Amino acid sequence: MLEILILGRGGQGAQTAGNLLARAFFEGGHWVQSFSTYGGARRGTPVMSSLRVDDRPVRLRCNITAADAMLCFDDSLLDKGFLAQGGDEALIVVNSPRPAGDFQPRAAQRIIPVDGRAIARRNGMGKVVNAALLGAFAAALGAPDLDRLTGVIRAFAPARKDENVAAAREAYQLLSPATEEA
Amino acid sequence: MNAPAKHEADRLHEMQLLSGNHAVAWGVCLAAPDVAPVYPITPQTPILEKLIAFQAEGAFQAELVTPESEHSAMAACIAAAAAGARVFTATSSQGLMLMHELLHYAAGARMPIVMFNVNRTPAAPWGFWPDQIDSLSQRDTGWVQLYSESPQDSLDTVIQAFRVAEAAELPVMVSHDAFYVSHAVEPVHLPQPEAVRSFLPRTARSFTLDPARGQSLGAPIGQVDWNRTRRDLERAMGGVEALVNEAGALWGNITGRTGGALDLYRTDGAELVFVTMGSMAGTAREAVDRLRADGVAAGLLRVRLFRPLPAEALRAALAGVDCAIVLDRNHAPGTGGVLHQELRAALFDAVSPPRLHGCLAGVGGVNVPVERLTALARDLAGARPAPNPLWLE
Repeated sequence: MLEILILGRGGQGAQTAGNLLARAFFEGGHWVQSFSTYGGARRGTPVMSSLRVDDRPVRLRCNITAADAMLCFDDSLLDKGFLAQGGDEALIVVNSPRPAGDFQPRAAQRIIPVDGRAIARRNGMGKVVNAALLGAFAAALGAPDLDRLTGVIRAFAPARKDENVAAAREAYQLLSPATEEA
Repeated sequence: MNAPAKHEADRLHEMQLLSGNHAVAWGVCLAAPDVAPVYPITPQTPILEKLIAFQAEGAFQAELVTPESEHSAMAACIAAAAAGARVFTATSSQGLMLMHELLHYAAGARMPIVMFNVNRTPAAPWGFWPDQIDSLSQRDTGWVQLYSESPQDSLDTVIQAFRVAEAAELPVMVSHDAFYVSHAVEPVHLPQPEAVRSFLPRTARSFTLDPARGQSLGAPIGQVDWNRTRRDLERAMGGVEALVNEAGALWGNITGRTGGALDLYRTDGAELVFVTMGSMAGTAREAVDRLRADGVAAGLLRVRLFRPLPAEALRAALAGVDCAIVLDRNHAPGTGGVLHQELRAALFDAVSPPRLHGCLAGVGGVNVPVERLTALARDLAGARPAPNPLWLE
C-alpha cells in the first residue's frame, strides 16, 4: 500500500489535490481511499489530506502515521511535526523557491523543493498552485502517469483548464530528469 | 475482503469514486423518497448538497424541505410520513440532539422515517470529530439503529433501511463516522435503479392520515392504551433483527454484498474477538489479519444493528470465545462505553461467556492505528477485565 499525506493551508486546494490524485490512481486501476479533515479549519489554517493506494480494497480507517510520500503546499508548514508523520524513507515534495540544502529531512527522508508559485504564474494560474504541485509530485513519485493526471485535471478543473494542465506538465517535466538522477 | 487483486481490479471498472456522504445521497436518490426535510450541518452537509444537485438534474423527485431547524425538519418528517409519504432526512450531532423530543414522537407514532446521521462529537467543547455518543445517546427513543463501516456499506444500508422501516413501521437511523467514512472518497458500486425499485416496493401502511377520513394521530389516551402502544412498539422491535437479516440476504442476492445484524470476520475458532461498530471495524480487520499471521486466533464481531440489540446472536457469536475486547468510540460519563455496557448485560448469565474488556478507543476522534489494536490484544489476552473501562490514548 502507498500512503500519501498532502498538507496545505485552507483555500490552497490541498483537499482538491488529494481527490484529483486519488482519481488518477483509481482510473489507473488502483483501489484508493482519500479523506480530509476540516470543520474548525479556516482559510489559511493547515489542512491535511490523506490518500491510500492499494491493489485491493482499503480497509484501514485511521490516520496515516508513516507516509511513503508527502506533498507540502507551503514551506512554512514543513516542520519537525510534519516530517515525523512521514516514514524514515519518505519522499517529500515542498512548494518553495529555496534550494534543497535549506531543508533538514529526518532519517533517510528526501526533500525535493519545487517553485510551484513561479510555475503557476508562468502558466497563467496566478496563486493557484495545486495543478503545478500535482505535476511535480507525480514526477517525483513516478506515478500516476502524466497523461492520466492531466486528463483528470482537465476533467475536474472548474476554470482555466489549459493553464492548469500546462502548469502540471511543466512541473512534471522540470522534476522528471532530477528524479532520474537521484 | 480477501479476494485476489486480479478480481478486485476487474470489479473497479464498474465502480464510481464517491465520498461516504455522496454514496448516501446516491442510495437515497435510488430509494426515491417522496419528501426529504433536511437541515444542513457539518459534516452531514454534502448529503444535502448532493440531493439538491440530483434534484436540479431532475434525477431526484422528492419534495425537498429546508426548514429553520432540525426540530422542524423532524416535525415535517413525521407529518409527511403520517400522510403516507416515504420520508428521508439527514443530520449530525447537535442537529440530532435538537430532534430528541420528536425522535420519541416519531417512534411512538410508528412512522417509518429513514434518517442518516453522521457521527460527530457533541459540544462543549466544539468539535467536528468522529464519535458515536450523539446517536448512542438516542438509544431509548424507539428508533432502529444501524452503523455503517464504509461508503459502500452506507449506500447499501440506507437502501435496506427503507425496507426495514416500512416493514416494521418503525423509524430507522443509519450512522457513519465523520471524516473516516463521511469524507472518505472510495470506489463504490452503484446498484441498478430497477433493482432498487423491486427491492423497495411501495407497500400499504396500516395507518395514514387522510382528509377523507376523520381520524387523529397521537391524541391523548388513557394509561392502559398508552401502555399498549409500548407493548406494540416492543413487538415491532422484536421483529427487526429478522427483517435486517432478510433485507441483507436479499440485497446480497441482487448485489453480491450481504449484511446482517452482525458482521463476523474470521471468528471461526477465534479465542480473542474485537467487538466494535462503525469505521473502527476496518482497522480492526487489519489487526485481526496481523494477529492471525502471528499465530493469534483473533476475530472481529462488528455490531451493525445496535437497536434492537441482537442479544441472542451476540451470545451465540461469542460463545466459547476466551477474550472479547469492546472498542467503544463513545463515552457515557460515569459508566464508560455504551457498547461495553450493552454487551455486559447481554452476556450476563450466558453459557461460557468471554472475559469482556471495555476500551474507550477513539473517543473524540483520536487516532487508533492497527499497531495499537494488536498491542492491546496482546496486553489483554490473558488479563482479568478491569471493572472500569480502559482509555486508549
